[in-house]
This record gives sequence, C-alpha cells and structure tokens, in this order.
Amino acid sequence: MPPEETGAAEATEAGLLARAQAGDIGAFEQLSGSYADRLFMLLLRLLGDRDEAADVAQEVMLRAWQGITRFQGRSSYFTWLYRIAVNEANRALAKRGRRPPSVPIGPQALDLPTSPAEDPARQAENSELRMALARALADLPPPLRTAIVLRDVEGLSTQEAAEIVGVRQAAFKSRLHQARLQIRAAIGDDALATAGG
Amino acid sequence: MGPTDDHQWSQRHLSHYVEGDLSHRARRRLDRHARDCVDCGRGLRAMRALVYTIQGLDGLAGVRAPATIFDRVRLAGAGGPAAAQNA
Repeated sequence: MPPEETGAAEATEAGLLARAQAGDIGAFEQLSGSYADRLFMLLLRLLGDRDEAADVAQEVMLRAWQGITRFQGRSSYFTWLYRIAVNEANRALAKRGRRPPSVPIGPQALDLPTSPAEDPARQAENSELRMALARALADLPPPLRTAIVLRDVEGLSTQEAAEIVGVRQAAFKSRLHQARLQIRAAIGDDALATAGG
Repeated sequence: MGPTDDHQWSQRHLSHYVEGDLSHRARRRLDRHARDCVDCGRGLRAMRALVYTIQGLDGLAGVRAPATIFDRVRLAGAGGPAAAQNA
C-alpha cells in the first residue's frame, strides 16, 4: 500500500475506533469487519472445525465490543483482536477437552479447488504432504500450534505474534522451534525432503 | 566438544538455523557438522522444506467469515459497549 493510502487507512481506523468507543456499533462493525475474514481463517486453523470457528468468531467480536473502551492503542487494533481470538480459541479447546479433528490448512481439507496448472503426480504428492501437515499440526499442544500458525502460516512477524500470544519474543521463538521439530519428527525427513525437491 | 555433542546440538537447532536465529559462530558450527553428517544434512533440507511448505499453504485464501459474525454484538450492544458488558 502506498504511504498516502496507509496514512488514510490509519486515519479511517482511528476515526472508526473513536466512534466505536463512543458506542457506535456500525463503526465497530466496519472496523472489526475489515479483519473478519482473516480472523475467521485463524480460528479455522486453530480449531479445525468450521461450526466451532463460527461460534468462537461471534464470541470474539462480542468480547471485543465489550472491551473496546479499554483498548488504549498500545498495540494495533488487529493485534488486539487477534489476541482475543487466540484466547477464545484456547478457551474453547480447553472447555471441550479435545484437540481439533483436523487443521484445514490445504485446499483438499476444505474442498477448495487446487491449481489446474499443477501436474497430477505433483498434486497428489502435495496433497499427501498437506494432509500429513494437517495431522501433525492438529496433534501439537495448543501453544505450539498457535505459534506455528501465527508465524509460519499467517506470516506474522515474531514481534507481532509474540504480542498476540502475550509472551516475550524469546519464549515465542522457543515454542516455534519446538513446534517445527515436532512436526518434522511426525512427518519424517524423507517425505519433507522429497517435497522440497 | 565431540562429534556426538555437535550432532545432538545440530539436531536441536535446525529450526534456529532456518529462522536465522543462530550467531555467525553457531551457524558455522552447524554448517561444518552438516557437511559431514548425512542425518543432519537431510534434517536441514527437511526443515527448510517444512517451513517453505507451510508458508506456501494458501488453501484458506478464499474463505469468508460467516455473515453471522456480529450477531451477538447486535444482540447485546444496543446501549453501547458498556451496556453490552453488563448484559
């Protein structure tokens, strides 16, 4: 985004935030709605279940609305919203006492089309790897899964991801490394190295 | 430090290596060991492939949030955030 557009977006966000904090529900919906798709994807990845993710997404928005007057802008609004989402996802997992059945990180897991340009053999290989990755991610303890989803899947910086999780960067990195080592152990070096070409 | 120490240390630090979290000296230590160790050389390739593959997954790119996402806010929020909190 060009600098002038970034500035305009920030100004819009600040204006919407001020109105939302004053009780304007439409402004809140506009402000939070711009992150709704990303937030829902995050919940899908953490929970692995569409209905549960939809339920938790509603709860996240309610919590954000309830707490918006306490938001002081020490982090970005996006980071604040994501932090609520991670907390709510963890709460849902703890409450239901189970791990996600699968983590839908690939198109096959969500019945989305794969690229037609991809040759069938490669497609099958990638599909297998995606399924293996999904299983390995689902088997991780929630703090490790959250670390790898935020950093590697969502592509957030370590600083942002650590802020969302509420830990120091060094602690976050430690979780990320542990998560990668566990996934590597689950999938196996040969399968990974083959996929890497 | 013997080869066994180097091997175990390298195995634990493959992700650090890929992430760029190792000092220059530590990186050289892992490079040196992985050059002669089949397991660690393969481990390094596997770790690179793992991170690359995960970062390249975009299967959820077209997913949209459900239209119901603000339903609870609308239900609770008629009087503003403070009222919603007390609801």
